[in-house]
Amino acid sequence: MNQADVTKLMSQLRIAVRPNKRNLKNPDGPEGRLLKLRKTVTALMKHERIELFYNRADEARGYAELLISNAIRYGDRHKATMELADYWLLEKQLVHKLFKVLVPRYENHNLSYTRMYKAPRDYPGTYYRQSVLELRGNPYPTLDTDHSQNRNLLHNVLLDEARKEFRRQKLSDLVKSSQ
Amino acid sequence: MNLTARVVVNRLAQQCAYKRIVTFSTKPAEHAVPAQDEPKNVEVPPAAPTQTPAVPPTTPRKPIIPANYRFVYPEFLPDPKVEWRNSIREKLERLDMLERRKQIDLPEFYVGSVLAVTSSDPHAAGKTSRFVGICINRDRCGLRARFVLRNVIDHQGMEVVYELYDPTIQKVEVLRLEKRLDDSLFYLRDALPEYSTFDENMEAEPLEEGAPVPVNDIKVVLRPRPWLERWERQNLRGVANIDQYLKDKHRLSSARVQKPWEKYDMMKHYRSTIAEEEQTEIFAEVHTELHTLELQRKRNKRKRTFLKPKHLA
Amino acid sequence: MIRTAISQLMGLRPSGGLLTQVRDKGHLSRPRLRNPQWFLRKEVTNRGDLVTAENKHFINDLVHEGFGAPALIKGVQTYEQNLIKTRDLATPPQTWTPQIRRCGVIARKIGQYPLWLKNGERIRTTLLQIVDNHVIKYIPPEEYVPKPLPGQRDSAANHKRGVLIVGSESTNPVQLTKEYSGIFKDSGVVPKKNLARFFVSPEAALVPGTPLNASHFRVGDFVDVRGKTVDHGFQGVVKRHGFKGMPASHGVTKTHRRAGNIGGGGEKGRVWPGTKMPGHMGNRWRVIRGLRIWRINSKYNVMWVQGSAVAGPTNGLVYIYDTILPLRKNQEAPPFPTSYEDSSEDVWYEKVHNFKDESIIYEKE
Repeated sequence: MNQADVTKLMSQLRIAVRPNKRNLKNPDGPEGRLLKLRKTVTALMKHERIELFYNRADEARGYAELLISNAIRYGDRHKATMELADYWLLEKQLVHKLFKVLVPRYENHNLSYTRMYKAPRDYPGTYYRQSVLELRGNPYPTLDTDHSQNRNLLHNVLLDEARKEFRRQKLSDLVKSSQ
Repeated sequence: MNLTARVVVNRLAQQCAYKRIVTFSTKPAEHAVPAQDEPKNVEVPPAAPTQTPAVPPTTPRKPIIPANYRFVYPEFLPDPKVEWRNSIREKLERLDMLERRKQIDLPEFYVGSVLAVTSSDPHAAGKTSRFVGICINRDRCGLRARFVLRNVIDHQGMEVVYELYDPTIQKVEVLRLEKRLDDSLFYLRDALPEYSTFDENMEAEPLEEGAPVPVNDIKVVLRPRPWLERWERQNLRGVANIDQYLKDKHRLSSARVQKPWEKYDMMKHYRSTIAEEEQTEIFAEVHTELHTLELQRKRNKRKRTFLKPKHLA
Repeated sequence: MIRTAISQLMGLRPSGGLLTQVRDKGHLSRPRLRNPQWFLRKEVTNRGDLVTAENKHFINDLVHEGFGAPALIKGVQTYEQNLIKTRDLATPPQTWTPQIRRCGVIARKIGQYPLWLKNGERIRTTLLQIVDNHVIKYIPPEEYVPKPLPGQRDSAANHKRGVLIVGSESTNPVQLTKEYSGIFKDSGVVPKKNLARFFVSPEAALVPGTPLNASHFRVGDFVDVRGKTVDHGFQGVVKRHGFKGMPASHGVTKTHRRAGNIGGGGEKGRVWPGTKMPGHMGNRWRVIRGLRIWRINSKYNVMWVQGSAVAGPTNGLVYIYDTILPLRKNQEAPPFPTSYEDSSEDVWYEKVHNFKDESIIYEKE
């Protein structure tokens, strides 16, 4: 039982955070793990949508979120944030993108800045789970399934009728009780 | 019509997406969802000049909770380990802490402050004992919160661990309110005794009201080896002569165990802190009562500082 | 064994001739991690993602019509049910005798923190929250006929105790299977996430729908707490049994955390049963008996019990019973068959220091 660290103040993430980190198998230890994640975060900022192993994407997602959230919070005149951006973005032109493109994009945003999807595993391929990691508001076509035609499905048609019946019944009960 | 339908579908998709997320948050789900829609209570740190407007237009009012509360009352923040968290337990614990604080004045103090603690002791002569010393560490949270006082008495270093909410404590006085350069001062054990020697009958040194807590930048002088810990590896700022006792092998090994990358490991920090939104929620719950206690303390202090002139002859 | 595996694959029921006995190493001692296939399925796999938003609302409205709107009662998310049974609805009042076994409750272990006694002693306590308990069903002793275990004779004739089925933590019935929801049909209670059965004396029977609260117990009484220990997986002897291991240096090679010798030779030259060896650690049911209740908060249904050894992780489920230890059993009548009062007060045991009291001061001799 220890105290929370009070020297640092961080915004709450809008994604589910695992209680523990994943080590991401690396011969160089924790430093190598961060290098691996830096490459992923850089790629995400550059391409805005990437496909990779689930574990690595999930780990990198938190760092990307925090990087953007810090950038929004402190702006580009804050030395520590600039150092963070310099460390995490291996291609330096992306630092400009972070502060000039992504910060305005997410400034008044209520959702998480990134989104993750489970992707199918190619068979017979590697066993690892695949995923797609993307920044919200990217220019690519959406990966969401189109649910606009769901109301034509049989159970929705039946439920619609049941709902109308239910409402009608309630209304008539209300009328009866008021009389 | 088509447009509205799409909006509805989008919202549905978002809702679905949120329901599926398995959070490790201790908050009940029905609290978690509207929290995202609430306007963020952005506390603007003083050292952060931003190009963007300091207060977003959505913020209705300025936060009433003082920014330094997390330093003054660190034990009100729960342990950040998510597996051990439970909102109801934390709430009950905070209520108990407040009840105790209404009985006894637990003042603001930091590592490096000089305190005097009076506590009931069944073995002491008058059934109470008073110990004066420098606070060398504060740890644990909730009702477990504790601190360590150190003093040198009769050439013998003494340390006493006090639990902040222990009901056998009768009085906690802050004799000198200040901070040091480091977060814990365990190195005083290996320093010369004069750095941890404090007079038992020391008078309280009042600090001006509203003045910031001063940081004492004294650098202590260590004794030669052997030490209790490998201080050279801990990047201490409050030690003057550490280089004097280091050989090359010590410097090499200390360089080998340094972890400069941890400064950039944001998720590590995130997992060891309580997020700002959550802190605001916690302190909003206890703020009014803590504030009244503070006002009461100030009033008492003024009464105490005003001494009636003695009637001479 | 292969034959059984094949038959399972083909979805066949192994008939008498086909079944071969399996004798795997560690086959019996391993804790079971999942329910058997024939077990009642609880949650539906179809999440209803294809249902439109209005229809989802409609389904939820139907649920609320039956069980009331969602509400936070005593710190637990549930529904506003108008189900609170009073004494007149219950069975005629019975007198309590020390031989009678009462119903238990389902709780969650929500954490631990210290309390202090009035003599200044610090005690460690575990907080158990009773989470939205309702009686689902009572099976009288004559009707309760359990399936006899293999090798055991059916002892239905000498059953003296009935069974109370208690559920905890209401959930959205839409997520549950029809079969599982059927358990709750006659009780009128919202389907619950967790179920438990308690063997009770016929006098202690309760009517379905009765809520069980922290006032079921009194401050100062002793309880037994049953829980499933934290799962550590396969562990070596140092972690599992606290062996010392062997030195890190001084010529020791490859045996730093090994058990060493496991038995002698000669006439009894074999590994004796019960030898402490590596294996699966945790994930087993354990009962800690005779824990004193130091404090009860009825507002949140929380009780503080002695010690920090209650099995299971924080936020894990535990079951609380009246203790069976002969010297700590109830001497006076507890709330019987349960307490029907609903209060929201904080009760402290007389020996515990209430934080509202002044600091502890020892008297001078």
